[in-house]
Amino acid sequence: MNLSTADDETESIAIEDRERIPSWQDPRVISSYKRRRVEDFVIKILTTTSLVLVLYPLADILYRFAYRGLQSISLPALTQVARDGGLASNIAGTFLVAGLSTVIAVPIGVLGGIYLAEFSGRSRYAELVRFVSDVMAGVPSIVLGYVGFLLFVLYFGWGLSALAGGVTLAFLMLPYILRTTELSIRKVPLSIREAAAALGSTKAQLVNRLTFKLALPGILTGILLSISIAMGETAPLLWTAGTSQSYPCGLIGCPGGVGYLTRIFYDFLLNPNPTAEVQNLAYLSAFLLMSFAIGINIVARFGLRRISKI
Amino acid sequence: MDYAEFPKYEPVKSHRDGCPGNIHQTGARCSVTVQLANIPKLEPKRDYPLSPMVAIRALNAYYGEQQVLKEVSLDIEENQVLGIMGPSGCGKTTLIRILNRMNDDLPGFRRTGTVAIQGQDIYSREVDPVMLKTRVGMVFQAPNPFPISIYDNVAFGPRIHKLFRKKKELNLIVRDSLEKAGLWEEVKERLDKNALRLSGGQQQRLCIARALAVHPQILLMDEPASALDPGSTSKVEELIVDLRRNYTVVVVTHNIQQAARVANSVAFLYKGEVVEIGKAPDIFENPINPLTEKYMRGTLI
Repeated sequence: MNLSTADDETESIAIEDRERIPSWQDPRVISSYKRRRVEDFVIKILTTTSLVLVLYPLADILYRFAYRGLQSISLPALTQVARDGGLASNIAGTFLVAGLSTVIAVPIGVLGGIYLAEFSGRSRYAELVRFVSDVMAGVPSIVLGYVGFLLFVLYFGWGLSALAGGVTLAFLMLPYILRTTELSIRKVPLSIREAAAALGSTKAQLVNRLTFKLALPGILTGILLSISIAMGETAPLLWTAGTSQSYPCGLIGCPGGVGYLTRIFYDFLLNPNPTAEVQNLAYLSAFLLMSFAIGINIVARFGLRRISKI
Repeated sequence: MDYAEFPKYEPVKSHRDGCPGNIHQTGARCSVTVQLANIPKLEPKRDYPLSPMVAIRALNAYYGEQQVLKEVSLDIEENQVLGIMGPSGCGKTTLIRILNRMNDDLPGFRRTGTVAIQGQDIYSREVDPVMLKTRVGMVFQAPNPFPISIYDNVAFGPRIHKLFRKKKELNLIVRDSLEKAGLWEEVKERLDKNALRLSGGQQQRLCIARALAVHPQILLMDEPASALDPGSTSKVEELIVDLRRNYTVVVVTHNIQQAARVANSVAFLYKGEVVEIGKAPDIFENPINPLTEKYMRGTLI
């Protein structure tokens, strides 16, 4: 009996409501549909236009540098040191400095990221680390270079050297690696963490056997992209790495410091009357740096997707 | 990893019980007995009598200010299946997550009262919450296999607890657990394939096998069949009935027929309180509490 009265009430309310709700044939619904179609079209046009606006200059830059770079490519330019008018010593310097900063930044960044993602909980210390790291990521790289100059070159007395440049660049890479590591580990779903916890896994075992492996493609992508950013940096290196006319002799104590690829282009920009030779070398160095960046991006994008498991 | 050892493993028939080699008859079926190197044992300091298997006394649980369990007291006997029923939000999941201390790290979670397993208070200082999980396994509502191979899924527990000395022993544990979960025949040819390629029902049975591989005494199941199709559901149900020979099982379920099929006894929870508990047939045929009756008729809101 109770049930039937309840049913009657629902029925009567529903009939009144039904008259108020416009059906799909209602002119109001139809006109709103037309308006939404127009909206959709306008948004499509706007987004496509902005894509072209972004892509065109980028394609233009790529084309120009690839064209000029390939024009000036030659065996002596790639194999001779700077003193003899080649880029070999600067290529070696770029790899030395970037390699050094990678060796320093990767272990600290990855371990720190694991700490932030798995062990920190909601501690204030972790919040502080995140905040400082985000601020560091926003510090202009020329400021970083100045700090590196004061701290490593002068205070530690390393002079203009690969070590001073590498450590300064490591500070540039560190926040990036830290956050990508944290974020990729956090992406591992809660259900998997709970399943492992329910089997009696400690946090260290969880990281070791599951989350780190599952997050590895993301972590490696972050590392590779930060390496490509580091290779293309000039500002932090100007007053820490110096420049040199020959192959790097070691980590510190080389006369003048260490030469690197971006320095060639920087010197060319400062040169009021560049010879054709200087100009060619500058374009070639820019082309090489772009190729490294593109290569690293391709590896990060397509190579790592294959080993991804999540 | 060499999975080729599996098809080759052909133990000799023993004359004693009709089961091959080092496989012994337990009940109606054969099962593998494995000498385990390093079973983590909690040397129990007894706070309470040994029986029942699980004794819950005056258990209160809170999330922040909200109380989700009120003065819950329950006994769970050894080798029984206890079904926990009740409307959504009545505290069923909280209750079973307390039994293996999964809720310890949840922000805002508090608990008072005692939970004793075989006479030992699991919230006492002597009990390590990580080790407790080797005694009390858990199967979740949605199948959650690790995105790694089927073999590695089952081997995960034995590996983290170092339950074996040789690769061969691990193979035996994996095979035994998969057989107990009724999955061995379906997956024995593709143990190295990613577990996510299995169907939902197979994934859930894999999760059960994974939980069994660490040899728990108690198995907690949180609506283990609610995300599965009817065919897989009945397989999981058969499995639960099978498991009660060797394990104490606690099953949370919404499905009355399912509880009737698998459970020996049933506890009915409403708004955090146990309103009725008893042998399964009694509760389904003659519910004493009007709330239980309303719930089973589908009119409890």
